[in-house]
Amino acid sequence: MNAVTDHAKSSRAGIQSENVLQRMWRQRADYLYVLPAIVVMLVVIAYPVYYTIELSFFKTPPGLQLRDKVFIGVDNYSAILSSEVFWRVTLNTVIWTLASTLIAFVLGFGAALALHRDFFGRGVLRAILIIPWVISAVAASYIWKWIYHSDFGIIGIVLVQLGIVDRPPNFIDSVGTVLPSLIVVNIWREFPFAMIMLMAGLQTVPDQLLRAAQVDGASAWQRFWHVTFPYLSGVSTVTILLLAVANFNSFIIPWIMTGGGPSNASHIWITHIYELAFGRQRWGVAAAYSVLLFIIVMTLGYFYVRALSGNERKENRA
Amino acid sequence: MAQVVLKDLIKTYGSVYAVNNVSLTVNDGEFVALVGPSGCGKTTTLNLVAGLIPITGGDIVIGDRVVNDLDPKDRDIAMVFQNYALYPQKSVYNNLAFPLQMRRLPKDEIDRKVRDAAKVLDMTHLLERKPRELSGGQQQRVALGRALVRDPAVFLMDEPLSNLDAKLRVQMRSEIKRFHQDLKATIIYVTHDQLEAVTMADKMAVMNGGFLQQYDTPAQVFAHPLNMFVASFIGSPAMSLVPLEASTANGMSVLTSAEGWALPLSPLNARKVAAAKSKKIVLGARHSTIKLHKSAQPGAIPAKVYTVEPTGDVTFVQAFLSGSLVNISVPPAVHVAPDEQVWLEFDQDRIHLFDGETEMALHAD
Repeated sequence: MNAVTDHAKSSRAGIQSENVLQRMWRQRADYLYVLPAIVVMLVVIAYPVYYTIELSFFKTPPGLQLRDKVFIGVDNYSAILSSEVFWRVTLNTVIWTLASTLIAFVLGFGAALALHRDFFGRGVLRAILIIPWVISAVAASYIWKWIYHSDFGIIGIVLVQLGIVDRPPNFIDSVGTVLPSLIVVNIWREFPFAMIMLMAGLQTVPDQLLRAAQVDGASAWQRFWHVTFPYLSGVSTVTILLLAVANFNSFIIPWIMTGGGPSNASHIWITHIYELAFGRQRWGVAAAYSVLLFIIVMTLGYFYVRALSGNERKENRA
Repeated sequence: MAQVVLKDLIKTYGSVYAVNNVSLTVNDGEFVALVGPSGCGKTTTLNLVAGLIPITGGDIVIGDRVVNDLDPKDRDIAMVFQNYALYPQKSVYNNLAFPLQMRRLPKDEIDRKVRDAAKVLDMTHLLERKPRELSGGQQQRVALGRALVRDPAVFLMDEPLSNLDAKLRVQMRSEIKRFHQDLKATIIYVTHDQLEAVTMADKMAVMNGGFLQQYDTPAQVFAHPLNMFVASFIGSPAMSLVPLEASTANGMSVLTSAEGWALPLSPLNARKVAAAKSKKIVLGARHSTIKLHKSAQPGAIPAKVYTVEPTGDVTFVQAFLSGSLVNISVPPAVHVAPDEQVWLEFDQDRIHLFDGETEMALHAD
């Protein structure tokens, strides 16, 4: 055992004493094999990232061609950070991401727990609950637009007929209700994802452990807290992070249902960037926005990878 | 500690009887093994006693209470599981303390009981560890400890040694036996390993197909199996069973084989055969009661060697007799080869006779 470790150590030390270029040269054949993939990656990923960063330091007047852009340093960034719209959109994005993620997770958790027990019609119910997740987001957005419609929407009609309101509420055309209304649609769409993840997680909870806890005198709630929940902490972290990243990058639902309006009340970062770039041809500002977004998403990604490898570490120790 | 009484216990799943009219009494301080092949209903029976699954019919009495409708926690039982079932995120200390915390005992009392249990099981030095940092044997000892801190009326053990390797299993077997002797605990112990049952239990309940086949001391079950199932399940290698036909020759009662030979019966065995309802008789004999001859002897019947398994102390010979395989143990000095013709002599006082139709042991009335 010791001999093996020592050997591994010394050979690693040997490699470390080589410099990177020498090592690459020694393994040149390996690089040759992955070269085509690297070239494709550089063209489709690295170059756009680089170009976006470059563009974020330029002004692109709508009257000029893109190659005649004007270098303005960090002016785009300072303009963004000092603009009122930026803070409005950022607040919207935070509300949108946090509310969607947490409520979708809690609903998904509840659905997973409910479906974990055996009862008549479980398979059918599970299939029905997955529908929102599998239908196209574009189709769902249009359907919900009609459901919310102030003249023909089913919700408004029902509310009026029940006598709760005098006339149908204007869900997506008023500043106060538009964001919550869109969040409801988003939650409806993605809670099945949390449900599926947690249902898979629940299957890893050993039955004998739950029985042991039952014999030990734990109530249903205590069994959940002391046995089920610890088993789900890993999958919960991953689910929440995946949902958060997806929500942070949402586009389809707000863009199709409201296009960010009224008066930016439902703009989130991605829709705002899209509008700046392709609606108003302000490429430089949009690029600067994108760079900021990139930094934030990469930070979330870092925690995601850390959570994943943290789980692996735990399993390896076990 | 308390006695446990099962009265006409029934558990059905749809039309399937998992436990079928099982009645037995476990006396105070007794170690009873429920033994049988997988799917025989032994674990279901244990779960019924624990209250983890509801009973369909009958009564379960622990101490002087009928516990049919009580929750597991109110039955005054503790359970040890096959996979240890330790809480992975809790330290050994908290695993042991958990059942006491659930009962809302004062902290200092919990601490005292946990440390006492740890001392009894010699694992005080492990209290701060997590279950994953323990070996299989240590984990099972923690599981025992978690049962012990409760000071329950009955210990229920569900194949607690099955996950351990062979050497540890033998060691833990004696530890559990010791545990039983020291605590004078009432223990119901489920196992599919008849050796565990025979070596540890005061009494064993042999189950098959949901039915209780026989409930007696291991020695009695071994010496007087009530039916062919018990006869073939208990003992290693298993008792050999040879289906034959009862008839008479020269005024003597004999068992005849399709191979043409006849085995004369002693007067006692003749009376047993006479009590049978049919002519089909199954001859049963344990390996150590059969004598193997290499030449024809009066009273010995011919058989052909199939396999020879030397184990050091004894050599096990399997031979074909009237179409059935028969196990015989011979001293290692005896050399036989596969396909060799041998002659087997049965000890009339130690053979078992079963009715070929009812599969029940025959008695001379």
